[in-house]
Amino acid sequence: MGIVDLFQWMNDTSLAESIRDSVWLFPMFETIHVAAIVLVVGSIARLDLRLAGLVARNRPVTEVQNEMLPWTWASFVVATVFGLLLFVSKPMVYLSMAFFDVKMILILLAGLNMLTFQHMTFRSVGRWDRDPLPPVAVRLAGGLSLAFWISVVVCGRFIGFV
Amino acid sequence: MLQELTDWLSRTDLSALLSDTTHLETWLIIPLSQTIHILSVAVVMISIGVLNLRLLGVGNSKQTFGRLTTQLTPWIWSALVILFVTGVLQTLAEPSRELLNSTFQLKMALLVIAVAITISYRVTTTKNPNYWDVTADRRRMARFLASTSLVLWLCILSAGRLIAYFGAFES
Repeated sequence: MGIVDLFQWMNDTSLAESIRDSVWLFPMFETIHVAAIVLVVGSIARLDLRLAGLVARNRPVTEVQNEMLPWTWASFVVATVFGLLLFVSKPMVYLSMAFFDVKMILILLAGLNMLTFQHMTFRSVGRWDRDPLPPVAVRLAGGLSLAFWISVVVCGRFIGFV
Repeated sequence: MLQELTDWLSRTDLSALLSDTTHLETWLIIPLSQTIHILSVAVVMISIGVLNLRLLGVGNSKQTFGRLTTQLTPWIWSALVILFVTGVLQTLAEPSRELLNSTFQLKMALLVIAVAITISYRVTTTKNPNYWDVTADRRRMARFLASTSLVLWLCILSAGRLIAYFGAFES
C-alpha cells in the first residue's frame, strides 16, 4: 500500500465524510486549530523576543521560557490534532497545494531550530540567563524561530485562500 | 443605516481596488492583511493571557500586576491598533461580508467589553500596582474580571474565524 493509498483511505473514512457533510464540524475544528496556532505563535514569539533581547529584559531567559513553553507545547498538540482532523476531510486537496507542503517544511525547520538551540546554544545558559541582551547565537535562534513561525502563519492563511 | 453605509462603501474606488483579484499586487493585499491580523491576535492573546493568569493567581508572581501591565500595555495597544487598521482594510474590501454579518456584529460588541476590561487594568494600577491584591473583595473581583476577559477574547477570536461561515444576512 503506497502513501497515496493511505491518504485515499483517510479520505474515505466515515470520520472524514462526517466532517465534509457537516455544516459546523469543519468550521469548529478550524476555529480550534486557529486558536491553538495563535497560542503557539504568541507564546513562542514572547520567548523569541526575550532571546532577542527585546522584551522582559529584566527577567531571566529561563523564567520566561518556563512560563511560555508549556503553552507552546500544549497548544502545538491541540493544533496538530485539529489540523489532522481538517486534513483527513480532504487530504488530496491539501496535498495538491504548494502552500501546504511549504508549511509542513517550515514547521520541521522550526522544530530543528528549537532542537539545535536546546542541545547546543542553551547549554551555556548559566552565563547569559540574566543578560538583557543574550549572545549572538541565542539572538539568531530567536530570530530564526520567529521568522519560521510567522511564515507558517502566512502559509496557513494562504491555504485557506487558494 | 448599516445597509446604506455598506452600499456606499461598496461603490468607492478604494473598495474596488482592495477587492481586485485580477492583478497579483492587489490580490495579495487582503490575504496579507489577514495574516498580519492573525499575528496581532497572537500578541494580544498572549499578553492578555499573562495578565489574566496573574490575576487568577496562576503564573509568575515575582512582579507586581501593575509592573506587568506597564510592560505589556504598549504591546497590547500596538496590536489593537494594527488589528483595527487591518480590520478596516478587510471591511473596505468586502463591506457587506462584515457589516451585515451578525457574527461580525457580535464580535464588535464583545470587543468593546473586552477592551474596557483591559483599560481598567491599566487605569486601576497606575497609582497602585497592587490594587487588585490588597483586599479579599478585590482579589475576588480580579478573578471574575480575568475569567471574563479570557472567555471574551476566545469568543472574539472564534467569532472572527466564524464570520466566513455563519451570520450572513439573508435578504
